[in-house]
Amino acid sequence: MARVMAPRESGTPGSVVPVLSTFLFVIISVVPLQLPGFAAVSPSFALMAIYHWTVYRPDLLPRSAVFVLGLLLDLLTGMPYLGASALTLLIARTAVLMTRRHFVNRDFTVLWLGFLAVAAGVFIFSWALMGICAGRILDARPIAFETALTVAAYPVGSYVLARLHRAFLRG
Amino acid sequence: MRLSPPVRAAAQRLALPMLVFMSALLMVLGKADILVIDKTRAAVVDALSPVMEDIATPLTAASAAVATVEDAVAVFQENETLRGENARLLQWQEVARRLAAENASLRNLTKLVPDQSATSLAARVIGDSGGAFLRNVLVDAGTRDGVERGEAALTGAGLIGRISEVGQRTARILLLTDLNSHVPVMIERTSERALLDGDNSSQPRLSFLESKAAVNPGDRIVTSGAGGVFPPGLPVGVVSDIENGIFRVEPYADLSRLDFVRLVDYGLSGLLPTSAIPPPRPVRVKPRGAAADADP
Repeated sequence: MARVMAPRESGTPGSVVPVLSTFLFVIISVVPLQLPGFAAVSPSFALMAIYHWTVYRPDLLPRSAVFVLGLLLDLLTGMPYLGASALTLLIARTAVLMTRRHFVNRDFTVLWLGFLAVAAGVFIFSWALMGICAGRILDARPIAFETALTVAAYPVGSYVLARLHRAFLRG
Repeated sequence: MRLSPPVRAAAQRLALPMLVFMSALLMVLGKADILVIDKTRAAVVDALSPVMEDIATPLTAASAAVATVEDAVAVFQENETLRGENARLLQWQEVARRLAAENASLRNLTKLVPDQSATSLAARVIGDSGGAFLRNVLVDAGTRDGVERGEAALTGAGLIGRISEVGQRTARILLLTDLNSHVPVMIERTSERALLDGDNSSQPRLSFLESKAAVNPGDRIVTSGAGGVFPPGLPVGVVSDIENGIFRVEPYADLSRLDFVRLVDYGLSGLLPTSAIPPPRPVRVKPRGAAADADP
């Protein structure tokens, strides 16, 4: 696993921004956005935050934080299989961490394509996981829709995260 | 804590498998309905509900604005439709009044015991599961408001689900469309019983139908009261679509746009733990032929 080269700023107040912003993105995931046809499936904001911080500052969003935030997401969404999101997000973080050198300091398009790959992988994995838990093959259409929606909404999430990033962190 | 380099390296290597293992373990434990996990869920949601409400308020306002614009565009056509509907409803009102009067006089004649009274309260939706695999919402009422697990949740249009989890100030409603929702219903026209199973699509499906030929699109679906979870006769939806022998039901309530819901306690105990169900009465078996000299 690639070790992290970014400067350490564990002492500065900015160092909590990745965890705090991911926490907020987790909460936003469960707030009802009552747009027509939108409420049933909403984009996975938590995944955006985890992707962004794992690409740029994995030192400030450690796997233990990803685990806890994943659990929180499960608790808030009433997931009957507590820990499923924690597992999925941990795997996503590991995958991004291993490939982050392709995305860091590159065009936004490259970053977005990377997110597309991660989101697709995550959703196929969680579709299979849920199917195993439920003991039957689940309809894949909602998950395909959620993937598309999450990838389409990524520029918005990425913009907010980049603003926070520049405002509070050096590297 | 200071660790020697080899110990640290080992801890680093093991951390990820450990966390993955813990997630998997929790998935198994959580499914086993362990009380501690249920309580943790409720406590976490309770603790975060103020934050969620604070975020929900401006977002709700914004989406209400979008909805207003949409409605304004559609207003002319809607007006036409409503005029027609109003004319039809006036006739129905006439019929309903006559039936109500008739019903009252018949009740009087037969001295019918009135239905058990139900208590209800309104709650605001503050959270939405959002993901592709879950269909539930959080509302801002909990045990301190007298909400109990198993209560029915309705909008003005019809049933939306039941309370699956209660915290002190929040409760979770498992919607009809969730994979884990199974509601005993009947076809109102034929009184035929069935189960309404959610499958995460917007239209739950009917299962355990006895005679599939007797169900037509447009048939009204109401709760059957079987299982003691819901009282009989709550409006649920209409049969909308039949494909490959699967009957789909369009719920009356718009489950994708819930803001205020009614939580109703019908005093039913279908979801209570087994200890609350009275044990079966002992049956005395009489030997054949001994019936004549049985005790008086």
